[in-house]
Amino acid sequence: MADPFKPRAPFAPWDRRQLPGLFDVEETARRVGHYKWAEMKLFEALGGWVATVPELDVKMRLGTHCYHHAWHAELWHKRLPELREMNPDRLTVPPNDAMVRFVEAMTEPEAPEQTIEKLVGVYRVFIPHFIAAYTFHRNNTSEITDAPTIRSLNFALQDEVADWTDGEMLIQSLLDTPEEVQRAAAHQARLETLMLEAGGIAGPGTIGGME
Amino acid sequence: MRKFFPVEELARDQRFEQITMRQAQADPRTVLNAESRNKTNRLTPDRADASDRARGLMHGIFVGEIQALEGAGRTCWDFETGTEAPFALKLDMARQAWDEARHVEISVKLSDWMGTEIGQFAENTVLFEAACSNDPVLRLAGVNRALEGLAIDVFTTMKEFGDLAGDPFLEFCEDWMLADEVTHVKMGSDWLRRITENDAERRKKALEFQQVVDKLFSFGGTRSDSKESPIGLARRFRELAGFTDTEVEDIAEMSLKALEERKAFAAAALAGDTTADPA
Repeated sequence: MADPFKPRAPFAPWDRRQLPGLFDVEETARRVGHYKWAEMKLFEALGGWVATVPELDVKMRLGTHCYHHAWHAELWHKRLPELREMNPDRLTVPPNDAMVRFVEAMTEPEAPEQTIEKLVGVYRVFIPHFIAAYTFHRNNTSEITDAPTIRSLNFALQDEVADWTDGEMLIQSLLDTPEEVQRAAAHQARLETLMLEAGGIAGPGTIGGME
Repeated sequence: MRKFFPVEELARDQRFEQITMRQAQADPRTVLNAESRNKTNRLTPDRADASDRARGLMHGIFVGEIQALEGAGRTCWDFETGTEAPFALKLDMARQAWDEARHVEISVKLSDWMGTEIGQFAENTVLFEAACSNDPVLRLAGVNRALEGLAIDVFTTMKEFGDLAGDPFLEFCEDWMLADEVTHVKMGSDWLRRITENDAERRKKALEFQQVVDKLFSFGGTRSDSKESPIGLARRFRELAGFTDTEVEDIAEMSLKALEERKAFAAAALAGDTTADPA
């Protein structure tokens, strides 16, 4: 056995985590507050839609995914006080009015014939934007000082990717005609345009800048 | 999407047939022929109609779980966070939506295992009606305490049926669902206490609403301590879920009364009286 008193490096040779990160405490709290707001809007919509979709498999998936996003909202709610925001409601806000308009447009469909629109809004627009926002955050924050956020981001991302897969497969199974493909594409384009105006889940700069 | 979704518009595929509580209660087969079964209606494997009744009950669980899922989901959507319902309550309802979705999955697989097809039995949508109150506390009282309380009784009966019938698959699944239901009832009891801590009037209204739903969901005596009821009252699990002894006794008494009322109603319906009130 190796000598337990022999000095070892504080970081093992395979541990390549870096100290610097793009976000300070304040910026991290701002982003986390927007994540919480968006996850809340998503779980509420998924819950509300359960009663409105006639397809049994879709109904059950929406109920399951509703909880995933509620849990993400809870993770962010708990993270906010750790980021010096003792009143989490203060930062639980949309990044801008365009995001509010996006959520309003996404949650507009209600009729039982609009399952495609409901799923497209969530699984082809909203959730891919969560994946983008969370991936950018995870890859750019300090791996050491902000480890708790990274841990939550990883949990959330695991759900987001799995739910995205589920949702995309449901959509593909529902698209039977060229007209339905057009319907899905038109709705996606309308919502994507609103999301573009919003700048992403956390507003402009959600996934950094290209300059 | 609207706030507050009407029960008449619950979305279903073409296999489902929906009926009213009145139609369900007018069916004399379930309460008026106890004589032929040695004064017992309990769901046991030795009954001649055991497999049909068990399948019917399982299908009832299946559609009930769909409505419970829809109800929990609507509570996430219908109320504004903070001003109308606490954030933590909505998180609990989202968790319940997941649990109910799993219960739909379980009951659909169990139904298949028992040889039932989706839509083979009618769907009574009265469960979702109890989830339509515009006060979240009333929803919790009606759904989590009354209906999920009934679910404890139903799952206990089905678990015992699985045990007696030598069906470990059924017993195993019912036991898991029973664990979830105890959690849901406890959740309802806790929230009722917390939200109405300083509002005695609101608590009184919620408990009154729970009583109405409890009576309605005694299913006209389908659940009671009497052997004439197919489903017994699961006293032990109700205790675990936070019901007091007095509350359990009240439900027992009310269920017996509902059984007598329903027998009178079904007899009147059988005699052609279309004006009788199912109470």
